[in-house]
Amino acid sequence: MKKLLVLMAALSLAIPLCVSAQEPAAQAPKEFVVYTDKNARDNHFIPSGWMGDTSDIKMNDQSAENPQSGATCIQFVYGAKKAQGQGWAGVVWQNPANNWGSKKGGFDLTGMTKLTFWARGAKGGEVIQKFTVGGIKGTYPDTVNIEIGPVELTDSWKQYTVNLAGKDLSYLSGGFGWSTTADLNPEGATFYIDNIKFEADPAMKPEGKKKENMPFYVYADRSTAGNHYIPSGYMGDYGDLKYDGASKEDPYLGDTCIKIIYSGKITQGARWAGIYWQNPANNWGSIDAGFDLSKAAKITLWARGAKGGERIEEFKVGGIMGEFSDSDSASVGPVILNKEWTQYTIDLKGKDLSYIVGGFCFVLNIDNNPEGAVFYLDEIKYE
Amino acid sequence: MLAACSLFFAVLLTSALAAARPRAYIKKLKKSQYQLIADGKPMIVKGVCYSPVPVGANHEYDWWSDPNKPWMTDGKLMQEMGINTIRVYQPGPNPEAVRQVIRDLYANFGIRTILGNWLGFWEYPAPFYGDKAFQERFKKEVLDMVKAFKDEPGVLLWILGNENNYSCLGQVNPWSSDEIDKEPDPQKQKAMRFRIYYSFVNDIAKEIHKLDPNHPVALGNGELIGLEYAKESAPDVDLVACIIYRGKTFGNLFKSLKATFDKPILLAEFGADAYDAFLKKEDQNMQAFFLESQWRQIYDNLAKNPEGEGNCLGGAMFEWTDEWWKHNESDPEAWKVHDTGSNWSNGSYYFDIKAENNKNMNEEWFGITALSEETESGLNKRMPRKAYYVVREFWKNPKPLPKKKGKR
Repeated sequence: MKKLLVLMAALSLAIPLCVSAQEPAAQAPKEFVVYTDKNARDNHFIPSGWMGDTSDIKMNDQSAENPQSGATCIQFVYGAKKAQGQGWAGVVWQNPANNWGSKKGGFDLTGMTKLTFWARGAKGGEVIQKFTVGGIKGTYPDTVNIEIGPVELTDSWKQYTVNLAGKDLSYLSGGFGWSTTADLNPEGATFYIDNIKFEADPAMKPEGKKKENMPFYVYADRSTAGNHYIPSGYMGDYGDLKYDGASKEDPYLGDTCIKIIYSGKITQGARWAGIYWQNPANNWGSIDAGFDLSKAAKITLWARGAKGGERIEEFKVGGIMGEFSDSDSASVGPVILNKEWTQYTIDLKGKDLSYIVGGFCFVLNIDNNPEGAVFYLDEIKYE
Repeated sequence: MLAACSLFFAVLLTSALAAARPRAYIKKLKKSQYQLIADGKPMIVKGVCYSPVPVGANHEYDWWSDPNKPWMTDGKLMQEMGINTIRVYQPGPNPEAVRQVIRDLYANFGIRTILGNWLGFWEYPAPFYGDKAFQERFKKEVLDMVKAFKDEPGVLLWILGNENNYSCLGQVNPWSSDEIDKEPDPQKQKAMRFRIYYSFVNDIAKEIHKLDPNHPVALGNGELIGLEYAKESAPDVDLVACIIYRGKTFGNLFKSLKATFDKPILLAEFGADAYDAFLKKEDQNMQAFFLESQWRQIYDNLAKNPEGEGNCLGGAMFEWTDEWWKHNESDPEAWKVHDTGSNWSNGSYYFDIKAENNKNMNEEWFGITALSEETESGLNKRMPRKAYYVVREFWKNPKPLPKKKGKR
């Protein structure tokens, strides 16, 4: 009898379990909204993370100027005045507001496979260096850091998609973001964003590593959207170097070139200096972000010295070593610059360029440039 | 009777052929794959760089003549780990003492010895590779070494130089000659230095082959730098012995070598230190992680392994014991202290790259066995680190990791 009671009790528990198991499972959400309209109740994340030259940014999150849908969109005016001397600016949508990873506030967006948004420029031609998902670090870091760009906006609305299929979206406190530079927008930029949302689209498939098409520019002109890599990796006597990516002093092609002033003051005591162009900025191999440049057979660049006779120890590609090291390196040098523009080529045949974080680099030293050096670079491209 | 005669002649012929073969040589297989053969058998070099300087001494200490015979203590530990080769950069001053070490290690533990020569790299003011008298001086030094030890069964091969190629770039111990100085183009100057240096090495290699057909001759080289010139100037070396510090991966080293100078490669110096310069504490896990990963790639690139290039012969980890003199070479008091300072930076060893000024490489902490100030039988007590056990286990069962899709 005691056994029977136990059995009945067990059955009474099991039956509702069985019933509930037959009920349809709760539907997983198909979208997660960041912004649709100013006061939409399902908006998430706050555009509170202003970066770089923050005084150059103006935001109107209830602009009624031709929204893509609904009553409002977000207008940004980027002044490109370098108000804080940074040369770039951007905004990250955070949760909670102003959370740079010090607070626990991330959403679990597992199941979402893409983020979509609409954007347009006031005139067309405005260049956003990158749109991002995740990337917040700190004590509570985001589980992803994904970016697309550079993106040249059109004067009419266009939808953009960030592929998130296969990514770990289990913790995101930085839902969305953009950043751009004064070099890319010398006259500033006014642009609009609308309808930002994560979506669960089963048709999205994880992206394989894309082999970049040639030519692949490191530098064409100051405002060229097709430039890749950032001249952020200052080395050695970095205080001796001054970089101007918008010099109009007799560019080889287009309207600008790069001007480098090496003072030779041995500010850090290294007796040499150099700059790496990295992806993203300041990546010394700690971020998995190499380009696949396997299609390249060479990299070419044009260079000239202000006086002629300046000596560059090497022009180099690849060679960054870290957790995510470049797959190879190649260099040419030492070279003595002419006063006239001269083309230099690094032969890449036989090299493994499947993963390149350090897209370009130069190094020079005081021993061979006792008076310092001023030189110019232009049209740096993989071919 | 006829069968017995046939058997006799067959044995005689086999013995004669065996006798005609070098003790150690490199066998070229299909598709530019290479295998080291020692005493008739394929051999993977499972080696370690060996310089057992005791606490309180520096590199000038003649450990070869140490009455406490550190190599006997170390040889036993090495044998238990699976090490079959030691690499020494240059023999000690007493040939008889050197001979005894080679014999002891081989007879007692089956451990072979790779002997090398610096080729005057540390000469002051600079190694003048363009100077005939300088060349003759070091050629003689090398040939004297070969003559003295070539008949020792424990000798495996010879390594000429170490990272001397960097001097051709002008970065370390720069040198020149009148002829080079006349050339205005610095790229051509660099090419001239490489050609002079590699031709000098090639000349010595040819002389060694005449004297000693029984052992391969390696070109010591830092990374693969300059080897495109060695292709023209040093065709007579049998292999390259590279010094590589690339963290967890050798990258495309093996493939790249094949494309520039198609010779087999011995990783003659590689490894990781066991001190976290960021957290400022010993980290044996970090060292073990890097060493296991490096050995995995060496094995992936041995002959007949479809995963790799097939041109690797093995390697020699840097190094067997810590060396307490290295951080501050000029201060004898510092030789008694296990310094935690770092002199250089290498981002490939990324765990502690956030150390001050990114200096994360701790020269005194590369040993896979640590040294204690406490002594045992007159020697600093050896304390194997985690890497000792991890590499030992890997060698017992060197299976490659399954390839992960989409991961580097």
